[in-house]
Amino acid sequence: MSAHDHAEGHLPHEPEKATLDARNKILGFWLFLGAEVVLFGTLFAAFLALRHSVGDGPTAGELFQLPMVFGATMILLTSSLTSVFAVQAMHHHNKKSMVTWLIVTILLGLAFLGLEIYEFVEYVHEGHKFTTSAFSSSFYTLVGFHGAHVAFGVVWIALVIGQVFKKGLTVVTAPKVYISAMYWHFIDVVWVFIFTVVYLMGKVAG
Amino acid sequence: MSSNHNETASGELPKRHKVEGPQKHIVGFILSLALTIIAFAAVAAGEINETFTYIILVAMAVVQVIIQMAYWMHMKDRGHLFPIIGIISGVVVVFTMVIMALYWVWW
Repeated sequence: MSAHDHAEGHLPHEPEKATLDARNKILGFWLFLGAEVVLFGTLFAAFLALRHSVGDGPTAGELFQLPMVFGATMILLTSSLTSVFAVQAMHHHNKKSMVTWLIVTILLGLAFLGLEIYEFVEYVHEGHKFTTSAFSSSFYTLVGFHGAHVAFGVVWIALVIGQVFKKGLTVVTAPKVYISAMYWHFIDVVWVFIFTVVYLMGKVAG
Repeated sequence: MSSNHNETASGELPKRHKVEGPQKHIVGFILSLALTIIAFAAVAAGEINETFTYIILVAMAVVQVIIQMAYWMHMKDRGHLFPIIGIISGVVVVFTMVIMALYWVWW
Protein backbone atom coordinates (compact mmCIF):
# COMPACT_ATOMS: atom_id res chain seq x y z
CA MET A 1 0.00 0.00 0.00
CA SER A 2 2.37 2.62 1.20
CA ALA A 3 5.51 1.00 -0.12
CA HIS A 4 5.78 3.36 -3.04
CA ASP A 5 4.90 6.47 -1.10
CA HIS A 6 8.08 6.11 0.88
CA ALA A 7 10.64 7.41 -1.53
CA GLU A 8 14.16 7.44 -0.20
CA GLY A 9 14.68 10.23 2.25
CA HIS A 10 11.12 9.95 3.49
CA LEU A 11 11.60 6.73 5.34
CA PRO A 12 10.06 6.31 8.77
CA HIS A 13 12.32 6.09 11.81
CA GLU A 14 12.49 2.30 11.88
CA PRO A 15 11.81 1.35 8.26
CA GLU A 16 12.03 -2.37 9.06
CA LYS A 17 8.88 -2.17 11.20
CA ALA A 18 6.92 0.39 9.22
CA THR A 19 4.35 -1.94 7.66
CA LEU A 20 2.22 -4.75 9.07
CA ASP A 21 3.75 -7.01 6.45
CA ALA A 22 7.23 -6.23 7.76
CA ARG A 23 6.24 -6.80 11.38
CA ASN A 24 4.71 -10.14 10.43
CA LYS A 25 7.92 -11.11 8.65
CA ILE A 26 9.94 -10.34 11.75
CA LEU A 27 7.56 -12.33 13.94
CA GLY A 28 7.69 -15.22 11.49
CA PHE A 29 11.45 -15.04 11.54
CA TRP A 30 11.50 -15.38 15.33
CA LEU A 31 9.34 -18.50 15.01
CA PHE A 32 11.82 -19.86 12.48
CA LEU A 33 14.66 -19.14 14.93
CA GLY A 34 12.78 -21.09 17.60
CA ALA A 35 12.77 -24.09 15.27
CA GLU A 36 16.47 -23.55 14.54
CA VAL A 37 17.25 -23.56 18.25
CA VAL A 38 15.57 -26.95 18.58
CA LEU A 39 17.38 -28.26 15.50
CA PHE A 40 20.78 -27.30 16.86
CA GLY A 41 19.72 -28.63 20.26
CA THR A 42 19.28 -32.11 18.83
CA LEU A 43 22.68 -31.93 17.11
CA PHE A 44 24.33 -30.78 20.35
CA ALA A 45 22.62 -33.60 22.26
CA ALA A 46 23.92 -36.15 19.74
CA PHE A 47 27.42 -34.69 19.89
CA LEU A 48 27.51 -34.63 23.70
CA ALA A 49 26.38 -38.24 23.84
CA LEU A 50 28.94 -39.45 21.30
CA ARG A 51 31.95 -37.23 21.88
CA HIS A 52 33.98 -39.82 23.79
CA SER A 53 33.23 -42.62 21.32
CA VAL A 54 36.38 -42.11 19.26
CA GLY A 55 37.08 -45.73 18.30
CA ASP A 56 40.48 -45.88 16.60
CA GLY A 57 40.33 -42.24 15.52
CA PRO A 58 41.96 -39.24 17.17
CA THR A 59 40.39 -37.68 20.27
CA ALA A 60 39.18 -34.12 20.53
CA GLY A 61 42.18 -33.18 22.64
CA GLU A 62 44.65 -34.47 20.02
CA LEU A 63 42.81 -32.86 17.15
CA PHE A 64 41.76 -29.34 18.06
CA GLN A 65 44.09 -26.37 17.75
CA LEU A 66 42.91 -23.58 20.04
CA PRO A 67 44.59 -20.68 18.16
CA MET A 68 42.72 -21.53 14.96
CA VAL A 69 39.40 -21.83 16.80
CA PHE A 70 40.09 -18.55 18.57
CA GLY A 71 40.79 -16.88 15.21
CA ALA A 72 37.53 -18.20 13.75
CA THR A 73 35.67 -17.01 16.84
CA MET A 74 37.12 -13.51 16.54
CA ILE A 75 36.18 -13.34 12.86
CA LEU A 76 32.60 -14.34 13.51
CA LEU A 77 32.24 -12.08 16.53
CA THR A 78 33.51 -9.11 14.54
CA SER A 79 31.18 -9.93 11.66
CA SER A 80 28.27 -9.86 14.09
CA LEU A 81 29.33 -6.37 15.13
CA THR A 82 29.61 -5.18 11.52
CA SER A 83 26.14 -6.51 10.72
CA VAL A 84 24.70 -4.59 13.65
CA PHE A 85 26.47 -1.51 12.29
CA ALA A 86 24.67 -2.13 9.00
CA VAL A 87 21.31 -2.12 10.76
CA GLN A 88 22.30 1.02 12.58
CA ALA A 89 23.25 2.71 9.29
CA MET A 90 19.82 1.67 8.01
CA HIS A 91 18.21 3.42 10.98
CA HIS A 92 20.17 6.50 9.98
CA HIS A 93 18.82 6.01 6.43
CA ASN A 94 22.39 5.86 5.21
CA LYS A 95 22.23 3.34 2.39
CA LYS A 96 25.86 3.59 1.36
CA SER A 97 27.24 2.95 4.81
CA MET A 98 24.71 0.13 5.32
CA VAL A 99 25.79 -1.65 2.15
CA THR A 100 29.47 -1.20 3.06
CA TRP A 101 28.96 -2.82 6.47
CA LEU A 102 26.98 -5.65 4.88
CA ILE A 103 29.83 -6.28 2.44
CA VAL A 104 32.35 -6.31 5.31
CA THR A 105 30.08 -8.82 7.05
CA ILE A 106 30.05 -11.05 3.98
CA LEU A 107 33.84 -10.89 3.64
CA LEU A 108 34.30 -11.87 7.29
CA GLY A 109 31.79 -14.69 6.78
CA LEU A 110 33.82 -15.94 3.81
CA ALA A 111 37.03 -15.73 5.87
CA PHE A 112 35.38 -17.83 8.55
CA LEU A 113 34.27 -20.40 5.98
CA GLY A 114 37.76 -20.53 4.48
CA LEU A 115 39.24 -21.20 7.90
CA GLU A 116 36.67 -23.91 8.59
CA ILE A 117 37.33 -25.64 5.27
CA TYR A 118 41.06 -25.51 5.96
CA GLU A 119 40.41 -26.97 9.40
CA PHE A 120 38.29 -29.84 8.06
CA VAL A 121 40.86 -30.69 5.37
CA GLU A 122 43.53 -30.73 8.06
CA TYR A 123 41.47 -33.09 10.23
CA VAL A 124 40.87 -35.47 7.33
CA HIS A 125 44.63 -35.60 6.77
CA GLU A 126 45.05 -36.54 10.40
CA GLY A 127 42.66 -39.47 9.94
CA HIS A 128 39.54 -37.81 11.30
CA LYS A 129 37.08 -38.58 8.52
CA PHE A 130 33.30 -38.46 8.62
CA THR A 131 33.01 -42.21 9.12
CA THR A 132 36.01 -42.66 11.42
CA SER A 133 34.04 -42.75 14.67
CA ALA A 134 30.77 -41.71 16.27
CA PHE A 135 32.65 -38.68 17.56
CA SER A 136 33.81 -37.66 14.08
CA SER A 137 30.35 -38.13 12.53
CA SER A 138 28.59 -36.08 15.18
CA PHE A 139 31.37 -33.46 15.07
CA TYR A 140 31.14 -32.96 11.31
CA THR A 141 27.35 -32.98 11.42
CA LEU A 142 27.14 -30.30 14.11
CA VAL A 143 30.00 -28.03 13.00
CA GLY A 144 29.29 -28.64 9.31
CA PHE A 145 25.66 -27.71 9.81
CA HIS A 146 26.74 -24.47 11.39
CA GLY A 147 29.16 -23.89 8.48
CA ALA A 148 26.28 -24.48 6.06
CA HIS A 149 24.30 -21.82 7.93
CA VAL A 150 27.21 -19.40 7.50
CA ALA A 151 27.37 -20.17 3.77
CA PHE A 152 23.61 -19.69 3.48
CA GLY A 153 23.87 -16.40 5.37
CA VAL A 154 26.58 -15.15 3.02
CA VAL A 155 24.42 -15.91 -0.03
CA TRP A 156 21.33 -14.41 1.63
CA ILE A 157 23.02 -11.14 2.58
CA ALA A 158 24.57 -10.90 -0.90
CA LEU A 159 21.10 -11.25 -2.47
CA VAL A 160 19.69 -8.62 -0.10
CA ILE A 161 22.49 -6.23 -1.10
CA GLY A 162 21.61 -6.84 -4.75
CA GLN A 163 17.99 -6.02 -4.05
CA VAL A 164 18.88 -2.85 -2.15
CA PHE A 165 20.95 -1.72 -5.13
CA LYS A 166 18.06 -2.43 -7.47
CA LYS A 167 15.16 -1.06 -5.43
CA GLY A 168 16.81 1.27 -2.96
CA LEU A 169 16.26 1.35 0.77
CA THR A 170 12.48 1.23 1.20
CA VAL A 171 10.01 -0.12 3.73
CA VAL A 172 10.02 -3.29 1.63
CA THR A 173 13.78 -3.87 1.51
CA ALA A 174 14.54 -2.62 5.04
CA PRO A 175 12.94 -5.62 6.83
CA LYS A 176 15.02 -7.91 4.62
CA VAL A 177 18.21 -6.24 5.76
CA TYR A 178 17.06 -6.37 9.37
CA ILE A 179 16.08 -10.05 9.22
CA SER A 180 19.25 -11.16 7.46
CA ALA A 181 21.27 -9.33 10.12
CA MET A 182 19.27 -11.11 12.84
CA TYR A 183 20.02 -14.43 11.15
CA TRP A 184 23.70 -13.54 11.17
CA HIS A 185 23.60 -12.79 14.90
CA PHE A 186 21.91 -16.12 15.47
CA ILE A 187 24.75 -17.88 13.64
CA ASP A 188 27.20 -16.16 15.96
CA VAL A 189 25.14 -17.16 19.02
CA VAL A 190 25.21 -20.80 17.91
CA TRP A 191 28.97 -20.53 17.40
CA VAL A 192 29.39 -19.41 21.02
CA PHE A 193 27.99 -22.77 22.08
CA ILE A 194 30.02 -24.65 19.48
CA PHE A 195 33.37 -23.24 20.54
CA THR A 196 32.42 -23.80 24.18
CA VAL A 197 30.93 -27.27 24.00
CA VAL A 198 32.82 -28.78 21.07
CA TYR A 199 36.28 -27.20 21.14
CA LEU A 200 36.97 -25.94 24.64
CA MET A 201 35.24 -28.80 26.47
CA GLY A 202 36.84 -31.23 24.03
CA LYS A 203 40.21 -29.81 24.93
CA VAL A 204 39.48 -30.00 28.66
CA ALA A 205 38.38 -33.62 28.43
CA GLY A 206 41.58 -34.38 26.53
CA MET B 1 24.26 11.16 22.20
CA SER B 2 23.67 10.10 18.66
CA SER B 3 23.43 13.30 16.71
CA ASN B 4 27.10 13.47 15.81
CA HIS B 5 26.70 11.68 12.51
CA ASN B 6 23.25 12.29 11.22
CA GLU B 7 24.05 13.95 7.93
CA THR B 8 22.34 11.26 5.90
CA ALA B 9 20.39 11.61 2.68
CA SER B 10 17.31 12.64 4.59
CA GLY B 11 18.95 14.45 7.47
CA GLU B 12 15.57 15.24 8.96
CA LEU B 13 14.99 12.63 11.59
CA PRO B 14 12.44 13.77 14.11
CA LYS B 15 14.16 14.79 17.32
CA ARG B 16 11.90 12.80 19.62
CA HIS B 17 13.15 9.54 18.10
CA LYS B 18 16.45 8.67 19.59
CA VAL B 19 18.46 6.91 16.93
CA GLU B 20 20.84 4.62 18.74
CA GLY B 21 24.54 5.34 18.66
CA PRO B 22 27.22 2.71 18.13
CA GLN B 23 28.24 2.83 21.81
CA LYS B 24 25.97 0.09 23.12
CA HIS B 25 26.95 -2.23 20.29
CA ILE B 26 30.61 -1.67 21.00
CA VAL B 27 29.93 -2.33 24.68
CA GLY B 28 28.28 -5.61 23.65
CA PHE B 29 31.27 -6.43 21.47
CA ILE B 30 33.84 -5.74 24.17
CA LEU B 31 31.87 -7.77 26.73
CA SER B 32 31.61 -10.68 24.28
CA LEU B 33 35.30 -10.40 23.53
CA ALA B 34 36.21 -10.45 27.22
CA LEU B 35 34.00 -13.47 27.92
CA THR B 36 35.48 -15.32 24.94
CA ILE B 37 39.03 -14.62 26.07
CA ILE B 38 38.26 -15.74 29.64
CA ALA B 39 36.83 -19.02 28.29
CA PHE B 40 39.83 -19.71 26.03
CA ALA B 41 42.30 -18.67 28.72
CA ALA B 42 40.67 -20.99 31.25
CA VAL B 43 41.27 -23.92 28.90
CA ALA B 44 44.67 -22.83 27.60
CA ALA B 45 46.00 -22.37 31.14
CA GLY B 46 45.03 -25.96 31.90
CA GLU B 47 45.83 -25.52 35.58
CA ILE B 48 42.29 -25.42 36.86
CA ASN B 49 40.46 -28.63 37.73
CA GLU B 50 38.14 -30.10 35.15
CA THR B 51 34.76 -29.59 36.78
CA PHE B 52 35.52 -25.99 37.61
CA THR B 53 36.65 -25.33 34.03
CA TYR B 54 33.35 -26.73 32.74
CA ILE B 55 31.44 -24.44 35.06
CA ILE B 56 33.45 -21.42 33.88
CA LEU B 57 32.92 -22.36 30.21
CA VAL B 58 29.17 -22.83 30.49
CA ALA B 59 28.78 -19.65 32.54
CA MET B 60 30.79 -17.59 30.01
CA ALA B 61 28.79 -18.99 27.08
CA VAL B 62 25.41 -18.37 28.70
CA VAL B 63 26.30 -14.82 29.71
CA GLN B 64 27.72 -14.07 26.28
CA VAL B 65 24.62 -15.35 24.50
CA ILE B 66 22.35 -13.27 26.74
CA ILE B 67 24.49 -10.19 26.04
CA GLN B 68 24.48 -10.77 22.29
CA MET B 69 20.74 -11.32 22.16
CA ALA B 70 20.04 -8.28 24.31
CA TYR B 71 22.35 -5.90 22.47
CA TRP B 72 22.55 -7.19 18.93
CA MET B 73 19.28 -8.97 18.38
CA HIS B 74 17.60 -5.92 19.94
CA MET B 75 15.84 -7.96 22.59
CA LYS B 76 16.30 -5.32 25.22
CA ASP B 77 14.46 -2.82 23.02
CA ARG B 78 10.78 -2.43 23.71
CA GLY B 79 8.20 -4.48 21.82
CA HIS B 80 10.14 -7.72 22.06
CA LEU B 81 8.00 -9.57 24.59
CA PHE B 82 6.81 -12.15 22.09
CA PRO B 83 10.27 -13.03 20.78
CA ILE B 84 11.55 -13.28 24.36
CA ILE B 85 8.73 -15.66 25.31
CA GLY B 86 9.41 -17.64 22.13
CA ILE B 87 13.13 -17.95 22.72
CA ILE B 88 12.69 -18.85 26.39
CA SER B 89 10.21 -21.60 25.51
CA GLY B 90 12.64 -22.83 22.84
CA VAL B 91 15.45 -22.90 25.40
CA VAL B 92 13.28 -24.81 27.87
CA VAL B 93 12.46 -27.42 25.22
CA VAL B 94 16.10 -27.74 24.17
CA PHE B 95 17.37 -27.96 27.74
CA THR B 96 14.86 -30.67 28.59
CA MET B 97 15.67 -32.50 25.40
CA VAL B 98 19.44 -32.44 25.88
CA ILE B 99 19.20 -33.50 29.52
CA MET B 100 16.79 -36.32 28.67
CA ALA B 101 18.84 -37.51 25.73
CA LEU B 102 22.04 -37.55 27.75
CA TYR B 103 21.13 -38.60 31.27
CA TRP B 104 18.01 -40.69 30.86
CA VAL B 105 18.44 -42.26 27.46
CA TRP B 106 22.12 -42.46 26.73
CA TRP B 107 24.09 -42.83 29.91
